[in-house]
Amino acid sequence: MTHSKAKINRLTPTNEDTLGPYYPISLCDNDSMDMTKIRRGIILEPRGEKIVIEGCIKDINGNLANGCLLEFWQANADGIYRTPLTETHPKLDPWFNGYARHRTKDGHFSLKTIRPGINKGLEQPRAPNITLTIFSDGIMRVVTQLFFDGDPTNESDPLLLAIDENLRGRLMMKFAGATDDGLKKYTIDIIMAGDNETPFFDDLLS
Amino acid sequence: MTRYGRQIEIGPTDNTSNERTPRNRLHLIPEEARASFAPYAPYNYGINPGEADMTRLAPGRPRAEGDPIKVVGKVTDEFGRPIKNSLIEIWNANKYGRYTHIEDHSGLALDPNFLGIGRTLTDQNGNYEFWTIRPGAYLARPDINRWRPKHIHMSIRGGSSRMITQMYFRGDPYNDTDPMRILMGDNFDKNIGIEFETPEDDFDCGYKFDIVIGGRNPTFFEDI
Repeated sequence: MTHSKAKINRLTPTNEDTLGPYYPISLCDNDSMDMTKIRRGIILEPRGEKIVIEGCIKDINGNLANGCLLEFWQANADGIYRTPLTETHPKLDPWFNGYARHRTKDGHFSLKTIRPGINKGLEQPRAPNITLTIFSDGIMRVVTQLFFDGDPTNESDPLLLAIDENLRGRLMMKFAGATDDGLKKYTIDIIMAGDNETPFFDDLLS
Repeated sequence: MTRYGRQIEIGPTDNTSNERTPRNRLHLIPEEARASFAPYAPYNYGINPGEADMTRLAPGRPRAEGDPIKVVGKVTDEFGRPIKNSLIEIWNANKYGRYTHIEDHSGLALDPNFLGIGRTLTDQNGNYEFWTIRPGAYLARPDINRWRPKHIHMSIRGGSSRMITQMYFRGDPYNDTDPMRILMGDNFDKNIGIEFETPEDDFDCGYKFDIVIGGRNPTFFEDI
């Protein structure tokens, strides 16, 4: 922890807790796993290449992790995240929020989105990635980021460089052909625990 | 060089915790990547009237069985700054310990007047209030006779704030054996609602549950 002095006057955080098995499914009624449509019935669409990401969440035994609540977050095709800091950014896409939420009944998910751009507004550009937050029974919130296998910018991404080389492949979404409607499809397995465990990140201490 | 953060611990006697808790320590996020780890949820939720009153299915309907309680509190970041306009989702079991969730196969009694699902928003000062029925404890692990103590689930979402937590009740006999309570150690006190009397209102009592969202996410994009 690098903020020890400043911490003195801080309040003690409430403990996060597990999602439990009974998160109300109906609270997800307005959620969508199609980031390319932020309003129904509108023909306008976000810029960029539409893609589909199919994946699953698995436990230590290789079984699917049912009942997880998943949240996805990404930049638009120009690498710009929608936040209060970017409200007037000329490259903000009016038809793209970059946020999706899904309660997976059986552990699978399928996200339709656009391929995120390179986030250049930093000293060290970020490779295209999608942030994934997982809430589950038995464990508090965990977070990670998913990357596109083979993307040349992965080589210089500061997050990938911050983990051991042999772990980087576990964050890679792999190209897996085309969907029925001709979109590029990528797949990834998220392993919550055990062999080939997905690297997760600490956004409380970082 | 790899820099590590917390090691998440496994909740004792919790099978799912054992199956899903990462065995490796979390990795610290380098500064250049930090902002991208604070998802900013769009504020697109509309709350219907009556959603913060879980003691009835709808205004004018009969009250659910059990003790009606009022839960109030303030949501802040670690510096005491209010988290405004955030969505609080609430879910809890009925007085018998049964959820209306389609995957709750416990067979415990249902109450036709209790849904156990509510929503509300924090106001400009971060304050919230909802009404519910004090939930029952339930037997979570019949094989080892381990119960879950009374608890109310809460999810806080809005802007870059994100937390899912549970409010517990002081003195519940099952608190001490609860897996996540054990992991919380002395800090468990932060997750207990503080009881207060409500003489002017038709409640059994009230509980004050202030929520402090840790880390840098809650105010990452806010004006500080």
